[in-house]
Amino acid sequence: MRPDDRKYTKSHEWVLLDGDTAKVGITDFAVDELCSGNEGDLVYCDLPEVGRILEAGATFGEIESVKAVSDLNTPVGGEIVDVNPVIAEHLEILAKDPWKGGWMIKLKVTDASPLDELLDAAAYEAHITADQH
Amino acid sequence: MTAGAWRLLRHFDGEPGLQMARDEALLEHGGSSAVLRLYTWRPDALSLGYFQRFRDVPAAAGATSVVRRWTGGGAIHHADELTFAIAAPLEHALYAGPVVDSYRRVHALVIEALALVGVTARLRGDVAPLASDRAGSGMCFHASTPEDIVWDAAKGVGSAQRRRGGRVLHHGSIKLDTTALEGPIATAKVDVARLETALLTVFGRRFRLVADELTPRERRHAADRAAFFRSDAFVHRR
Repeated sequence: MRPDDRKYTKSHEWVLLDGDTAKVGITDFAVDELCSGNEGDLVYCDLPEVGRILEAGATFGEIESVKAVSDLNTPVGGEIVDVNPVIAEHLEILAKDPWKGGWMIKLKVTDASPLDELLDAAAYEAHITADQH
Repeated sequence: MTAGAWRLLRHFDGEPGLQMARDEALLEHGGSSAVLRLYTWRPDALSLGYFQRFRDVPAAAGATSVVRRWTGGGAIHHADELTFAIAAPLEHALYAGPVVDSYRRVHALVIEALALVGVTARLRGDVAPLASDRAGSGMCFHASTPEDIVWDAAKGVGSAQRRRGGRVLHHGSIKLDTTALEGPIATAKVDVARLETALLTVFGRRFRLVADELTPRERRHAADRAAFFRSDAFVHRR
């Protein structure tokens, strides 16, 4: 079971709200789809500068595995107030610790309304189970 | 496999920036359609993978023209080759699930097509290194993964994907002959028309291919964006 303290998107991002700040990352399922258990296949992750304003759904970065580049999209809108400095040199953290150490950006949230439309852990579980069949 | 019709597009001898812009149009404006686009390049061009640094690809300095792709992976010198682009929804049966599985499915089709022109190809698997593997060039054909298509102990098809907005763009270069920038790699040594026919035969067995053109919106997008892909801003972005 994935953590039930956060919400999930169908495109496999997660968002954890703490007051008016939100952390955004990608799920273990997303990482596994990119690298099929071989974390060394993750080769690059481009994250934005602090201060950038993003609308909900906007692309905030890009991740490259050996064979695919994928956009990263924020589920909520706001201003980026922090970017995880560990990821650039330690992409393996996305596979080893996707829920805590693998957060990608922190946003000061200006538009939290999309949260109501996102999936809780049980619904996300059901979504990826359906995806696999 | 889904039984839905695929759009089939052909753009031979296209200007490199325009070819990249057409693929972008199909990625961004293709809606729910699956598209197979076959093309060749004129003039020849070297394409950089999206994340590559220009200075990490020495061959780029000697290329006739240089563009950057949205797809990842290494650089390719597009001269004697047939290029395919597939643009499709991520939930399409070819692309659902792990990225590596999508390569195996698409490459199985390409291997089948190569067999029709007399080339016995296979996935590289764990047999490495290949005769085409060379360190330090930044070239796609000089690096290999287990899912790459090989024959004559060398890599003969380079491919890469971009995933955006629920769709995937999958680029593939099937080499007909090598170039000075590529050096020794596997080449099919057949006429491009024969290879095209083989690919259409194999894809046509699985999917209903319908000859099509770019929509007016896609055509406008491609025309507006062609210069971007060969611009200094994009080519030298890294």
